Amino acid sequence: MRRRVLAAFAAIVMVASGAACSSKQESGGGGATDQSPIVVGSTLSLTGAFAATGLIHKIAGEQFVERLNAAGGLLGRKVEWTILDDQSDTAKVGPLYEQLITQNKVDLIMGPYATPNILAAMAVAERHGYVLPQHTAVLAPQLTYPCQFPAWSIGPTPNQFIPNLLFDAVATLPTPPKKVAVLTSQSGSAAFVTDGLGDDKTGVLTVAKERGLDVVVDRHYPPTTSDWAGMAAEVRDAKPDLVISNSLGVDTVNALNAMKQLGYTPPLVFSLFPAPGPLLGLGPASEGALSVSIFEPNKALVDKVGGDAQAIVDEFKTKATAASVAFPVFETQAAASWNAWEILASGVKAANSVDNKAVCDALHSKGADTTFSGHLAFDQKVNNFWPTTLGIKQIQNGEWVMVWPQDRAAAPIKAPTS
Amino acid sequence: MTAVQAALSGALIGGLYALMAAGLSVTWGALRVINLAHFGLILVGAYLTYQLTTAWGIDPVLTLLVSAPVLFVAGAALQWAYDRLNIVEFNSLLVSFGLLMITIELTTQVWTADFRHIDAGENPYGTSAVHLGSIALPISRLVALGFAVLLIGGGHLVLERTFAGRGLRAFAQDRTVAASFGIDHRRLGMVVGGLAGVSAAVAGMVFALGNTIAPAHAYEWFGTVFAVVILGGIGNLLGSLFAGLGVGAFSAVVAVLWDPSYEPFVLFLAIILALVLRPKGLFTRRAAA
Amino acid sequence: MSVRKGLSILAGVALVLAVLAHFNTSLGIAPYLLVLATSVLFWVIQATSWNILSGYAGYFSFGQAAYVGVGAYSVAVLTGRHDVGYPVSILVGGLLGALLAAVTGAVAFRLGALRGEIFALLTLAVPFILAAFVRINRDIDGGLGTTLPLPDFPGWVGDFQHLIFLLMLLVATLAVGTALWVQGSRLGRGLNAIHDNEDAAEALGVPTFRYKMLAIVLSGALGGLGGALLAVRNGAVQPELVFTLTVPLFVIVMSVLGGRRHWAGPVVGAAFVTVLQDELAAQELDQWGNIILGAVLVLFVVAAPDGLFGRLRVRPWLTVGVFVPVLVGLLLSGQYTELDAILYAMVAAIVAALVVDRLRPAPGAVSSPAGHLEPSAAPTEGARPTEPPATRPAGAAPLADLPQPAPPPVPPVAQSPPGELVSVAGVTRDFGGVRALDDVSLSVSSGEIVGLVGPNGSGKTTLVNLLSGAMPPTRGTIAIGGRTTTGLAPHRVAHTGVARTYQIPKPFASMTVRDNVAMAVMFGRTGASLASAREAAVRHLATVRLEHLADALPDALNLHQRQLLEMARAIAAEPVVLLLDEALAGLNPAEIDDAVAVIRRIHAAGISIIIVEHLLRVLNQLATRIVVLDRGVLIADGEPATVLRDPAVVRAYLGRQRA
Repeated sequence: MRRRVLAAFAAIVMVASGAACSSKQESGGGGATDQSPIVVGSTLSLTGAFAATGLIHKIAGEQFVERLNAAGGLLGRKVEWTILDDQSDTAKVGPLYEQLITQNKVDLIMGPYATPNILAAMAVAERHGYVLPQHTAVLAPQLTYPCQFPAWSIGPTPNQFIPNLLFDAVATLPTPPKKVAVLTSQSGSAAFVTDGLGDDKTGVLTVAKERGLDVVVDRHYPPTTSDWAGMAAEVRDAKPDLVISNSLGVDTVNALNAMKQLGYTPPLVFSLFPAPGPLLGLGPASEGALSVSIFEPNKALVDKVGGDAQAIVDEFKTKATAASVAFPVFETQAAASWNAWEILASGVKAANSVDNKAVCDALHSKGADTTFSGHLAFDQKVNNFWPTTLGIKQIQNGEWVMVWPQDRAAAPIKAPTS
Repeated sequence: MTAVQAALSGALIGGLYALMAAGLSVTWGALRVINLAHFGLILVGAYLTYQLTTAWGIDPVLTLLVSAPVLFVAGAALQWAYDRLNIVEFNSLLVSFGLLMITIELTTQVWTADFRHIDAGENPYGTSAVHLGSIALPISRLVALGFAVLLIGGGHLVLERTFAGRGLRAFAQDRTVAASFGIDHRRLGMVVGGLAGVSAAVAGMVFALGNTIAPAHAYEWFGTVFAVVILGGIGNLLGSLFAGLGVGAFSAVVAVLWDPSYEPFVLFLAIILALVLRPKGLFTRRAAA
Repeated sequence: MSVRKGLSILAGVALVLAVLAHFNTSLGIAPYLLVLATSVLFWVIQATSWNILSGYAGYFSFGQAAYVGVGAYSVAVLTGRHDVGYPVSILVGGLLGALLAAVTGAVAFRLGALRGEIFALLTLAVPFILAAFVRINRDIDGGLGTTLPLPDFPGWVGDFQHLIFLLMLLVATLAVGTALWVQGSRLGRGLNAIHDNEDAAEALGVPTFRYKMLAIVLSGALGGLGGALLAVRNGAVQPELVFTLTVPLFVIVMSVLGGRRHWAGPVVGAAFVTVLQDELAAQELDQWGNIILGAVLVLFVVAAPDGLFGRLRVRPWLTVGVFVPVLVGLLLSGQYTELDAILYAMVAAIVAALVVDRLRPAPGAVSSPAGHLEPSAAPTEGARPTEPPATRPAGAAPLADLPQPAPPPVPPVAQSPPGELVSVAGVTRDFGGVRALDDVSLSVSSGEIVGLVGPNGSGKTTLVNLLSGAMPPTRGTIAIGGRTTTGLAPHRVAHTGVARTYQIPKPFASMTVRDNVAMAVMFGRTGASLASAREAAVRHLATVRLEHLADALPDALNLHQRQLLEMARAIAAEPVVLLLDEALAGLNPAEIDDAVAVIRRIHAAGISIIIVEHLLRVLNQLATRIVVLDRGVLIADGEPATVLRDPAVVRAYLGRQRA
């Protein structure tokens, strides 16, 4: 009897001790002098399904912090970045941000990667009143926390903006597409661009119809899809002029591969949020493919941005190559990361403090200055989404080139060769 | 016509599912080890093919000359350890899950979490196809099916026709009886583990031919592969071949006739139905009363 | 420990935790520990939920994500999209979890064959189906996820973290309390028997279907409640949050690592794994974190295959004695954070218990693959192989003549009315195209010992299976004591007064010999509490002369002793008719004499016996009547001497046997 009581007690002590022991250390935070570093905390998916892109954000962020410190840091203090691995597990993100805020007592936080994780982090940031700059969540209607600041904006309604941007761009081709096939991943922001959200049903499907385009294939697939042959066969047999792949990661690569295996290459393909490297790796099969971008390191764009842009782009390439990233190019993901850090830095400078309330207010009133997207003004009425600088890029001669809108393009959009 | 094309492509990719499932099935059935680390071996097989092809420009199929022996040793060593430490059934599930985690992270250390893809130039099988009228049979999938038939059919013949095979089946049914017939289960187990490793090498190679590789893929294979193993009947090699082809063709047809989003829904409902109707696996012979 | 005492201790611990959490600021407890404790409690809920079915009853499930998902989506849809209050949506989460479990159970448990791997795959399929369903139906989610409003709560609770901690604590207490209660109840005993041998459990009178349904529904309800709270904590719900492999894999890891047979196993496992993962994440080890976690998993499973809790409970003082000083020491040193200190103290305690156990196996070590015995069984181990047959010369006098204390008489059975006891009328049984029994009619009166003989494959065991209700006849009826049993579940047939033994003994491997027999008393016709059943069990063990092995585990018994255990278990159910299926097979002559004496004693107590046997010499002495089956047809029925001279019998059976 006593043995079991004790054993049970031992087990419970293990759980209980979490709450039972007293705090010995009051590290970081309060009472610090101005010499102590400013600590920024975030999680990133360094392992698991989102890790490929998580890695890009890690390299870009570390590069930013290094440059910032080399230039004297923020408010005369060094900046330190604490990154925890959320293992691409959304359920881990919340507790890890709680840990960063309450245990590590970080001064500021930075968003994680991937929309589900950002939503989980936002809930924690809101509970603690922390400013949350975030790189990649574009679902404007869902990001309701007033101190959430997007670093990649497709405006308040990406589901209207992206289809129109794309159709405007391809309308300038000598023979604009008439028949479109739409493949949509049922994940994150991809389905949003196809079908809208909630009562707003605007998306690629409705915009295509308004513009008199014929949607010949409309397929939704789960993110776990591994066999693309069925969809490939349907697309091939429907003979579209344009394939719109509203997808993430390597889905488009896999779909194009499957089509190629059936002896078919679509005349024109648009891929929403692809991993850029593997798509280039397809060689001739992906030549002419379109996607969206906020920045590509094309000479014309880099020159236009000016300032440190060339140095940043080159340095990133060196660091990413050293980390054996397969496609070590400073493009949209890295630029979004850079924007997010510049938003945070601008806010702190403007508030002249690391007080989150002050930083949030300063960002609302003064906006932020960024290298790659210019000055950003945050409109609280549309959840801080700023007027978008999103454009269309295209693979030309094995490289991603910004081609639309014309005022930001590095080269004109090319027609399909066939 | 689209449905026929999809069904054929799906059945061919089913060869890959069968290859992935066969090794798992045989160690589970014959050695009572549910070896989740098998998924790690497949992943390593895929990366070895990628690495050798990309770095030295070797034909992807020929990379098996390296990866098959390597994974044979790995599979045999795993089985040796399981046997030594007396790890079977649910404990083997746990231990091999730990090993799988380690394998995945080690591949991440070597190849990063970034997506890897054999470039079109080095992969003659990646995008070519055999055309029969309007039906195209992709080479990479024919390779998958070919290896599946070769490996699984061969394994089946060995099990049915040879002394070692019969010994293994006796071992699966009753260990003590098998031991009294002079069967060295240790050595036999290691050979089976090694051959499962070889099947992982082949599955990994086939996967790398037609897909982008990332470490997290190992987890994504779980659902389909377990379904194939159990539908085919645990330890039943031919069963896993048929189950693989069936699952591949069925999923592809569902995706074309309804929508790909319905595929997991319909596939797993069908699996439940199949289990309820044929609880011993779809392809087991009906036991005599 | 009594269940009531356990529950009050649990409630006390929960209360202390709640108070500590509530005053954490004034007590100087770091707020982060509250966050960590909330995570631990979530996993305690899930691992405990899983363990009630998969640990206790042994039905391994890969579908825990389904309950978590249903719970989380109840909150997402009702509160996130339709502004229903949190209390309602959380409770609905629990209800829907229970409902989903009931449906899964109704499909899986209706079919006896859906066990083991098949059940595992069935449960693996459910989360896939639900995830696809959520993604297809954009009204639920549309793949975009739902954000949740911050809940309203009274100010005295503190901040949101206090609220979610209290809610998790409440549900975790409920879960652990349920597991503790189940373990000590008839339900728990029954589930344990199902785990060990479901057929034998059912034949002894355990209502296996009902018990499994109860277990799965409890599991589903708790899993659903936990999932609902996960949604509240996360503040947003997407398929990626709940329908991941992480949930089932880690639930299994935690429960198996902790130990599946005891309610505290999953608690220990969940606490250890969660704290370890958290610490690894905090160290910024990236991939190395997972590598270390994997290695720890491998090491601990190899070192403690039956779970850590089993090892810790053997040496409670050592565990506490290492854990507390290490924890306090590390904290006082000021070099370590609380998290480090807790983790290192846990690891120290576990390693100490494992190392000491390896160096000096405790007298009370739990059974390990090496075959340790339960505590009190150890002294008898040495005597076991030679006791009792080899202590006397082969072919010596029957056991009753030996100078042993005379066994107590079998307690008299409530005397059934004289006359027809078993009636088999026109029974046919087909397997696929094969007819195993063909129009067999048979009647057994009370007081008889009927020998059932026939060549291999003649349908003897099939007839026993039909009589015990293990399978229904294709045609015809069977009645016991005038009551038709055809179509009844085996445990209901058992309650009409039929008990059986198996040709290959099927003991409950995890229970002592005494408890094996006690199970039959507990779930027999009259039913009893465990305590009184254990007393009764000793009496029945005395009847078969196994009382000296009452504390041994079945693994330690030889074949003869196992056969005797089968008989003791069968008579403990207080049957009116006992079916002995080849109870003498594989025994040596001395053991056969011994077994025959036991059978006579059982018969003398007023139990009618139907015995399947090949040894005609034995049946000739023992049986009052012999029934012969040949290829499913009854070819003779009468006095042993007459039947054994019947030319048809000689041709069909003896001739072939002696050829």
